[in-house]
Amino acid sequence: MFRLTIKNLLANKVRFALTTFGVMLAVSFVVSAFVLGDGLRSSFTKVTEEATAGVDLEIRSVAEFGDPAPLPISIVDRVAGVDGVEDAVPIIEADDNAVRPLRADGEPLPLNGQPQMAFNWVANDELSSFSVVDGAAPGVGEFTMDVDAADTHGFEVGQTYEVIVPDGRVDLTLSGTTSFGADNTTLGAVLMHMNIADASELFGVDGVSQVVVELADGADLAATHAAVEAAIGSGYPDVDVADRATVLAESTEEFTREIDLFSNILLGFGLVSLFVSTFIIYNTFAIVLSQRTRELALLRTVGADPTQIKRSVLGEAVVVGALASVGGIGGGVLVAKGLEAMFGAMGAELPDYPLIFATRTLVVAVLIGMGVTMLAAIGPARRAATVPPITALTGGTEAGTPGSRTRKLSGFGLIAVGLVAGAIGLSGAGPTAATVAGLAGGAVAMFLGVTLLSPMVVGAVTSVLGWPMRRVAGVVGRLAQQNAARNPRRTATTAAALMIGLALVSAALVAGESVKATIGTTVERSAIADYVITDELLDADFPASLAGDIRAEELVAGAAGFTHLEAKVDGTVTDVVGFEFDQIDRLLDLSVQDGSFVTDVVHPVVVSTDEATELGLTPGDTVTTEFSNGSTVETTIVALFDDQAILAEHYLVDRSVLVDAGVTPSAEWLAVALIDDAPAAEVATLVAALGDEYPAAAVETADEFRKRIQGSIDESLATVNVMVALAVIIALIGIANTLALSVFERTRELGLVRAVGMTRRQLRRMVRFEAALVATFGAVLGVGLGIFFGWALTTALPSSFAASTAVPIGSIVTLMIVAGLAGVVAAWLPARRAGRLDVLDAISH
Amino acid sequence: MTLLLSPPVDTTTTRPAAFARGATKVYGSGDTEVVALDHVDVDFAAGRFTAIMGPSGSGKSTLMHCMAGLDRLTDGTAMVGDVDITSASEKQLTLLRRDRLGFIFQAFNLVPTLSAIENITLPMDLAGVSPDRAWVDHVVETVGLAHRLHHRPNELSGGQQQRVAVARALASRPQIIFADEPTGNLDSATGQEILAFMRHAVRELGQTIVMVTHDPVAASYADSVVFLADGRITDELRSPTPDAVLDRMRHFGN
Repeated sequence: MFRLTIKNLLANKVRFALTTFGVMLAVSFVVSAFVLGDGLRSSFTKVTEEATAGVDLEIRSVAEFGDPAPLPISIVDRVAGVDGVEDAVPIIEADDNAVRPLRADGEPLPLNGQPQMAFNWVANDELSSFSVVDGAAPGVGEFTMDVDAADTHGFEVGQTYEVIVPDGRVDLTLSGTTSFGADNTTLGAVLMHMNIADASELFGVDGVSQVVVELADGADLAATHAAVEAAIGSGYPDVDVADRATVLAESTEEFTREIDLFSNILLGFGLVSLFVSTFIIYNTFAIVLSQRTRELALLRTVGADPTQIKRSVLGEAVVVGALASVGGIGGGVLVAKGLEAMFGAMGAELPDYPLIFATRTLVVAVLIGMGVTMLAAIGPARRAATVPPITALTGGTEAGTPGSRTRKLSGFGLIAVGLVAGAIGLSGAGPTAATVAGLAGGAVAMFLGVTLLSPMVVGAVTSVLGWPMRRVAGVVGRLAQQNAARNPRRTATTAAALMIGLALVSAALVAGESVKATIGTTVERSAIADYVITDELLDADFPASLAGDIRAEELVAGAAGFTHLEAKVDGTVTDVVGFEFDQIDRLLDLSVQDGSFVTDVVHPVVVSTDEATELGLTPGDTVTTEFSNGSTVETTIVALFDDQAILAEHYLVDRSVLVDAGVTPSAEWLAVALIDDAPAAEVATLVAALGDEYPAAAVETADEFRKRIQGSIDESLATVNVMVALAVIIALIGIANTLALSVFERTRELGLVRAVGMTRRQLRRMVRFEAALVATFGAVLGVGLGIFFGWALTTALPSSFAASTAVPIGSIVTLMIVAGLAGVVAAWLPARRAGRLDVLDAISH
Repeated sequence: MTLLLSPPVDTTTTRPAAFARGATKVYGSGDTEVVALDHVDVDFAAGRFTAIMGPSGSGKSTLMHCMAGLDRLTDGTAMVGDVDITSASEKQLTLLRRDRLGFIFQAFNLVPTLSAIENITLPMDLAGVSPDRAWVDHVVETVGLAHRLHHRPNELSGGQQQRVAVARALASRPQIIFADEPTGNLDSATGQEILAFMRHAVRELGQTIVMVTHDPVAASYADSVVFLADGRITDELRSPTPDAVLDRMRHFGN
């Protein structure tokens, strides 16, 4: 029987090659998720180890909430004096991208997804992972750059460059280039060092972020650790002393979480592709076996028992699965490289990573490749095994029934299960894993349910969709439509593969469109300001004084800076936003109730109506606000606000509260209102001047800002769509496969129509139309489900993200047309093959 | 041999509907070479029912396929009306079949997804011309299918299917209808009904039919019978009766 298995595979080379390719693509995606994840983890581990090499103890500030406050510089001396401490060095660190050198041509280094970071130079080799490659360590008024960044951007030792720092621009001379560890493993970041005497002032930071400690030879780690803690004393409750092992463990946990998230998302798309491939594997086996019914019956007649037949079929599945797994392991590397290039093109370059094939990766690749193929083949194999021997004489019958009672019941049952699971997932109750499982399980159950039920509507739907074809091509169109409808289950399974991809794409489109529409109405309704100033990266800050400077301009009627931070309000950690209360009425309409932003109350706070209702707060009440630096301010509620679309935080405080608490004085974004009839030319000059001073700043009208945010949503959607594209490609392979098999099955019929006068062109057209119909049928189901998913998703989202469901009709229609055309492309080979049939051979087939 | 074959007497004043001169068909080459047709000259008179008979391997099907533009001659000429089908392109042959020829095969004559009437008008629909309604109605009436027109082939009996095939062949008023063992798959009563109908089409409607058969009874429905053996024409019989045909076959055939 094994020989038979191999012979069958060889006899159907092309269709099994296509099937194998489909599974292989899916396995590749899964493998790439592992390869990228493992590689990145290894890179980050190496970097973390490099960074902490030689550091025995690290003293840092930990905050219960919010950003940790910097350590006072005085702590360095206290630690240095402890017995057993050889050296203690402060690390002063700028915020990421707060320090940005300009190239010789005056352009800042591009922000490519990896940060630009600046530190003070540490002279002690033991405590620093950096070494000078060329030139010298930075003196006062100098800086160094890592050798790769310097090479890439054309920085030369000895030259003076302009550098953007939080407080403006300074000229610094490049004293040398450096290497991080032996190989300068920066993972794409730009690393700079300044002299310790310059660092605090240049970086605009008070105090130090860490103190690193080298132990004297022979000093006991635990004893010295205790002594350092004692020396710091109880005056600094937020200061923590950690040994190297703890620091390593903490950073590993942190980056592992992020890398896991990234690789799990890739894995998710891989599983979608895998799910889609099971449909095409199932279909290929089912069709090939139904075409071989007579042959199988003959085998039974000459004495093969059902088990042998089943084994022979599953044997074919094993071979297909094994080939797909092996191919998928190689393909995984290609997909990983492709994804890397894609992220790079979108401005999010991945750090360098080594290629790692963990045993787990190989095992999983083989398990899913073989497992999925076997699983998909088991149904057809069972059916093949039950072919009665008499069929050898009577010939097989074409299975054309749309649905049995069992099929209908299971279909509706699965949809019901899917709805319940999806609702549980969307409710967000329970752990994240439950949410993900609910959503994924719900979607899978719905897909299967719809696939089981869809054969019942194949006839009706293709008849409607085929109308234009009948109009254009007459009997050729009619034949195409009837061919698509003649085996409803086959058409339904083929279309289902495409349905899955398109459902995901259109769900994403609907969700995206809804969020975009919400942003649009929010900005229109609430933003009174003429200009919004944001940082390109939305993570660097502007000095608090900027809003005041802008207000001083004659053209400006009002301006405020917005600072978002965590604070503890009446004992509960929550998000708070601070800004200039006296400006807000000219900038944002937040639907204020029961009061006003402008009062003479000292330390005013405005609370959302939702929060006030929940906690029973009313204007006039006092709440205690504790900030991350430990200071506490008594704030008085002066009003409530309704509209949380722009500011989602429950507590709004006046900037004076932040100033008096002594926390982060900087602003993440600003809003500016101009005076009435401000001359356009002067406004343009002002905007240009702001852009000059803050190269990373985006100064946009409210409308431009809205368009940019909506554009960024489109970009995220594009990413999702690229990932889903793989599943769609696999589905198209499925269409090509099914059509090729159908053409083979209908050889005699094709011969007949050619004999009575159908031209080759008409024949090719007929096959292509059939493909377009199958594809559009899948698209209709997919888009229908997708819109439903999108609706469910937007309903579950908070109304500040998606107030109502918006369906992007244009994109959805385009999607369906593209799907139809893609079906035509998939039919290219089968159509050509059909056109080339020899009429006489075909008739006597 | 050729002396036995007097040049077909032109019983009508018109040219033959189709003819072949020196028609030769060779399959394979070298050791495996098989000569299926060996310099055959034959005329198929217009408005006549001609049967081609001969034992298996005599080349009768090959002759029909080559005359019908389904296969190509290795050498010689075949004409249908004024079209030289030996030099026509594949596309021209397709259009010739669609517009000027009709076909009736032994089995699998109908497209399973189309109804009887759709099958009947298929060649005209493919050509994008609207059928002559009155004529199609007349054909359908004559074939006796009026009440089964909207049934699919799998809802029709074998005889009914074959009658649909005959109706399709007639519906576009082709210059010539080629029938390949049209009754081979039918019981004798049904077969004779179909044959009688084909003869009727020739006598009453002026249709030209060329039929390949190995059944003397079927051949007896024709106006004349051409006998083939080993790729050559060996005899011709006019106004055949089953006995006469059998007699000739015994004489010249196997």
